[in-house]
Amino acid sequence: MGAFLWSLTSVNWGGPIIHTGGGWSAIQFLTALFPPDFSPDFLAIAFKATWQTVTYAVAGITLAVAIGLPLGIIASGTILKESSPWRTPLIASTRLLLGALRAVHELVWAVLLVAAIGLSPMAAIIALALPYAGILGRIYAELLQDVRQQPLQALRAAGASPLRVLLYGYIQMALPDMLGYSFYRLECGIRAAAIMSFVGIPGLGFQIQLSMHDLLFSQVWTLLMFLVALIVLVDLWSTRVRRSLLA
Amino acid sequence: MIRSPNAIRAYQQQRQPLTFARASFYAFFLIAATSWGFILLSGDSGLTDLFTSKTWGNAGRFLSAMLGLNSELTPAYLQASRWMDTGKLAYHTLAMSVLAIGIAGIGAFLTLLLAARNVSNGDLGGAPSRAGTVAYHVTRASYIFSRGVPELVWAMIIVFFLSPGILPGALALGFHNYGIVGRLTAEVVENLDPAPARALRAAGASNTKMLLYGILPQALPQFITYLLYRWEVVIRTTVVVGFVSSGGLGREFILRLSWFHYTDVSVIIVWYLALVIGVDLLSAWLRRLARFE
Repeated sequence: MGAFLWSLTSVNWGGPIIHTGGGWSAIQFLTALFPPDFSPDFLAIAFKATWQTVTYAVAGITLAVAIGLPLGIIASGTILKESSPWRTPLIASTRLLLGALRAVHELVWAVLLVAAIGLSPMAAIIALALPYAGILGRIYAELLQDVRQQPLQALRAAGASPLRVLLYGYIQMALPDMLGYSFYRLECGIRAAAIMSFVGIPGLGFQIQLSMHDLLFSQVWTLLMFLVALIVLVDLWSTRVRRSLLA
Repeated sequence: MIRSPNAIRAYQQQRQPLTFARASFYAFFLIAATSWGFILLSGDSGLTDLFTSKTWGNAGRFLSAMLGLNSELTPAYLQASRWMDTGKLAYHTLAMSVLAIGIAGIGAFLTLLLAARNVSNGDLGGAPSRAGTVAYHVTRASYIFSRGVPELVWAMIIVFFLSPGILPGALALGFHNYGIVGRLTAEVVENLDPAPARALRAAGASNTKMLLYGILPQALPQFITYLLYRWEVVIRTTVVVGFVSSGGLGREFILRLSWFHYTDVSVIIVWYLALVIGVDLLSAWLRRLARFE
């Protein structure tokens, strides 16, 4: 509570909070909801933008899984022998790497990558995949460590190689949770893909920015509805998948 | 000897029928393949650029510029004043994140009772009312909408109306997290032990009293934990929201980058990481405190 009060003091209350004309444009923005722009031409644009956002999100998530899974397996320490001298440094450095990937927001990655390798769809996808790989890798590692130990001992006792123990023991048992969590991240990925517009990647966020700059507020409302509907759909889907996986 | 891993797999499948999940998994693969196809085939995806020496030369030049190599100027990270100036912005960023969590927390707290199904349908005592049902659906819809719109889009909209500074950014972050915290907390309220609230209601307690004495003591630790978790996310996002709402580190980051002041960018990133790590540690500590209450 005290911290909140402190944060209030650092707002510049003295200056004009609503800037000149801000109140008027707020009213315009709100009245533009009645009705939103549902003309066929614009709906076509909105559908296209939605599809673009989905492609970037899905591509980003698949890349994130591809990066996060091996890192997560290493960070969980399940494939390394207890006695190996590499075990502790390898686990620690992988965890540090995952933490570093995760610490930086996807859009900050995007801005840096665009500055480093230039603006392209791949730059946006990699920017999305890096922090998500950090999150997924950490969660995968935790899930792999939390599996029941008895079946693993049975596999080891039966002479299974470490790779087999990983594939048919660890991953087999942690898979429902791992998939469930990855599906949950898809919803976040959609939002992240939508804001990649900031570096100039097409999609819903890009269209919102364009309509906003053209002061076409009724179009902004339409796009916001598409975005929310998309998020709700993905949310419902991922909730059902998780329920079905964990039942 | 386990000779047939397939047998294990068959056993596992038998134990857990994965029909819907399995179908979703294949559907996701289909969407993933289509998405990659679309990105790689429609125009220049930049994938081939990743394997050219020119791209990596550029990336290398960018990195050495950030480290201040091959430049006659004094790099920003060797100037104490730059650290101080950026530190001031980091302080604003921190204030912005706390303000955002405060806004989200107050919003979620005020709508807590409305959004919990067991309150609106009278499960905690009291009669189910039409007004309660309507309020439930309206509140839940507001959660979905505020959660569905990303912080940055909220910020883009809000800077149209408010003066730039830390307030619009905090509002944008607050609006987005209001939906998230609200939904999570409403689920906590729906799952908590109904007995104390029912007893209070039976003794004639008002809604406010029921919230204060029947629900809050049970739900508060979880509520605070969610707020602290979201704070960790918010501190990462504050910089991004600062890109458009021009408060704190975010604006400085974008400006320095577009002025090619790459060593200043490095200083900003170090402050950013310090904030993120500091907030993570602080939040982990506070979460432990909240659990021991």
